Amino acid sequence: MPLLVAIPIFTVFLSFFDTTGNYLDLLTDTFLLKYLTNSFLILLGVLSLTFIFGVTSAYFVSFYKFPGVNFFKWALILSFAVPAYIYAYSLVAFFENYGTAFSILTFLFGEGDYNKNIPKFDGLIGSMFSISFSLFGYVYVLTRASFIFQSHNLIEVGKNLGLSSYESFFKIILPSARPAIVVGLSLVAMETLSDFGTVDFFSISTLTTAIYNAWISFDDLTTANQLSFVLLFFILLLFVLENLSRKGAKYHQNSKGNKPIPKIQLVGGKSIFATCFCSILFFCSFVFPVSQMTYWTIKFPKYFQDINFWSLNMNTLLLVFLSSLFLIIFSFMTNYGNRVSKNKLISYLSTFSVSGYALPGIILAVAFITFISWFSDFLSSIFGFNSFKNVFIGSVVGLVIAYFVRFFSLSYNGIKSGYSKINNSIDENAYLLGYSKLKTFSTIHLPYLRTNILLVGVLIALEIIKELPITLILRPFNFETFATKAYSYAAQDLLEAAAFPSLCLIIWASIFILFISKYILSEK
Amino acid sequence: MEKTMNKLIRIIGLAIVGLFSALLVANSVFANEVNVFSARHYDSDVQLYKKFTSKTGIKVNVVSGKDKALQKRIKEEGKDSKADIYITADAGRLGAFQAEGMFQKGASSAAIKKVVPANFRSPYWVGIAKRARIIYYNPKTVNPSWNMSYEDLADPKYKGRVVIRKSSNIYNQSLVASLIKNNGEKNTAAWAKGMVNNFARKPTGNDRAQILAVAAGEADWAVANTYYLALMLSGKKGAEQQAAAKKVMPFFPNQDGRGTHMNISGGGILKHAPNKANAVKLLEFLLTPEAQQHIVNNTFEYPMIPDVKANKLIAQFGLDFKQDLKTKVSNYGKLQAKALKVMNEAGW
Repeated sequence: MPLLVAIPIFTVFLSFFDTTGNYLDLLTDTFLLKYLTNSFLILLGVLSLTFIFGVTSAYFVSFYKFPGVNFFKWALILSFAVPAYIYAYSLVAFFENYGTAFSILTFLFGEGDYNKNIPKFDGLIGSMFSISFSLFGYVYVLTRASFIFQSHNLIEVGKNLGLSSYESFFKIILPSARPAIVVGLSLVAMETLSDFGTVDFFSISTLTTAIYNAWISFDDLTTANQLSFVLLFFILLLFVLENLSRKGAKYHQNSKGNKPIPKIQLVGGKSIFATCFCSILFFCSFVFPVSQMTYWTIKFPKYFQDINFWSLNMNTLLLVFLSSLFLIIFSFMTNYGNRVSKNKLISYLSTFSVSGYALPGIILAVAFITFISWFSDFLSSIFGFNSFKNVFIGSVVGLVIAYFVRFFSLSYNGIKSGYSKINNSIDENAYLLGYSKLKTFSTIHLPYLRTNILLVGVLIALEIIKELPITLILRPFNFETFATKAYSYAAQDLLEAAAFPSLCLIIWASIFILFISKYILSEK
Repeated sequence: MEKTMNKLIRIIGLAIVGLFSALLVANSVFANEVNVFSARHYDSDVQLYKKFTSKTGIKVNVVSGKDKALQKRIKEEGKDSKADIYITADAGRLGAFQAEGMFQKGASSAAIKKVVPANFRSPYWVGIAKRARIIYYNPKTVNPSWNMSYEDLADPKYKGRVVIRKSSNIYNQSLVASLIKNNGEKNTAAWAKGMVNNFARKPTGNDRAQILAVAAGEADWAVANTYYLALMLSGKKGAEQQAAAKKVMPFFPNQDGRGTHMNISGGGILKHAPNKANAVKLLEFLLTPEAQQHIVNNTFEYPMIPDVKANKLIAQFGLDFKQDLKTKVSNYGKLQAKALKVMNEAGW
């Protein structure tokens, strides 16, 4: 089964070794450079913004008391509920000529020529902000966790040495949280590189859209291959970086002697600044898109009627349920298998599975279709099997498998992090007591890993609720989720009608987030 | 504990198997059906399919999605594909898909040939609705002469006053393809450079955003499809946009020459269509006066057949303008790649 997760990379490369096309002619040197520059600029912008947003807010809520701190602590993770493409819809609708900002100004100050005074976004800037606000949560959550568990003694020592809070932040706190920050940023980077919905909406050409065009529009596999290579190089670099800092993390964390750091009460200007910073961040990342969608939903109630609310809920939840179940079961099997057999191959493959997460969903979906088609034709020609394309392409089964490939790494590593806390000697003791492997698993591991299962389940749910490109291509006839419905309205230039499904999507995601916020924010 | 666990696992397993097989069966229960892959996302299309079902008893199944991705799925599914009809909103794409041998003959049945002009159909596909890509202007600042053309927009006197969307957009590629067909590649390359010099801003946003830029005074001239203005005028996008749309005038260019650039939404019957007879019936239905009326009133496109009148929001701008019926829409597909190259080299 772990072999399944190697499919995307496998297919992307194998299928590229034949024909050549004309896309490269179009893709002259300057062109390619432009795509690379765009990807690089977006990446740089998003990494800088998420770093500033994530680390600053994490620093404030971890070390200080200021008005609203307990609220912001969990409110900031609600940003996970808003996918970047829906953020992009709100951004454009608000700032466009005669858009929502114009309506608000007209409402407040009467008729006027406000369009000139409303700032306009370039698509590149728009993409950066949309992606940053929807992803900074990764940096926030991980950095905060690292701050909370930071050795109190180290900070005390700093204080005794006479470091100001400014100095201790840059000399002690930040360096020791570096591994967590790097992990957060590398997750952000992977999601940014694989983004399609946002940059496509802004029609910004990036590496991902170039691969899509080369492969799908021009059938130019050589170019697609070369571009994929560049993209994979980027991703590999990130992956190595992330792995290195994960290893580093082990040395930094000191589990003993960690008492909760007493929070310092901020006063005066500093306290106002902290409250303002967090308020603005919360407003921009969550309140703004939600208000825009709510405003439309109320302003254009007619679009309600067109939506089959019940089936959208059912479809979305069906996909979430089946995929989580499937993913968690197999993550357990591979993790437990790994633990029992210590098989190097499984371990390598599991590591390799990150490729599914790092590859853009749209490329993965097409690779999946190509692979199934090739495999089915291959079996038919050799063994005379009936074609099974329809079982996997355009079916819920196919969707679940494609999600599996994409999110296996997420699920596997989530379960693994729980397993790594169960000492191997516990297993050995259980065997000595005559427990079978299955019994050890069901009576010891499963209860112990309950929290992990919940966390992983919800993370998968969040990803699948928001997932767009895979669902769009692989879905069966007459099958809509909130994401595809919102997309299809956006595609017919009716963002007003996209508001309601978008809002439902955000609400579902928020419910899931609130459900696990207790665990994400645990200070123990 | 272990027993309960085993039992639980078994029940879950059974449930999964049951669910999957139910889904598989559900997929193949409806025999009298027609399957549509559509790159058009209109909800009104789906309502129209429902009308078809209630008339004929033939169920219409739809998957909508991004154009090229849908094509890829159809190609890879090959002879196992359930798709009967592929519908998209650009003649060039229909032509290109035909060139790959993905359509079979039969889209233009005798009934269809009778009502659809020859320029907008081929044996492999047929237009369902028309749209014109036209010029919009601000009547307060400029006044086009009656014979103004797309070519004129590159005139240096309009420096900094023209807006149009990016070159990656398929409507632009088709428009520029028609220019290449009529004026040659070299002249069109020069024209594209002139256009870029006249841009009021870096191309951004969709067609509606271009019209809004003229309304807001950012530019005097915009190029966009006809139905966007009608969509704004309809009030479906709120009172502010309705008011903004009234500040802009549409203009049908090239009346002195070949006529205004026309494009189509259209569909063809796929090579491996399992329900060909039903597919023909659906295409024929889409070209009946009833269906055409429904389309023009919801999407504000122009009707494909003579007996139906465009929606009044579109009709008010005049229906007797000269359409470019000379440039075969099937040329768009062949020249789109060249068009993209020309635009990109001009820095569009």
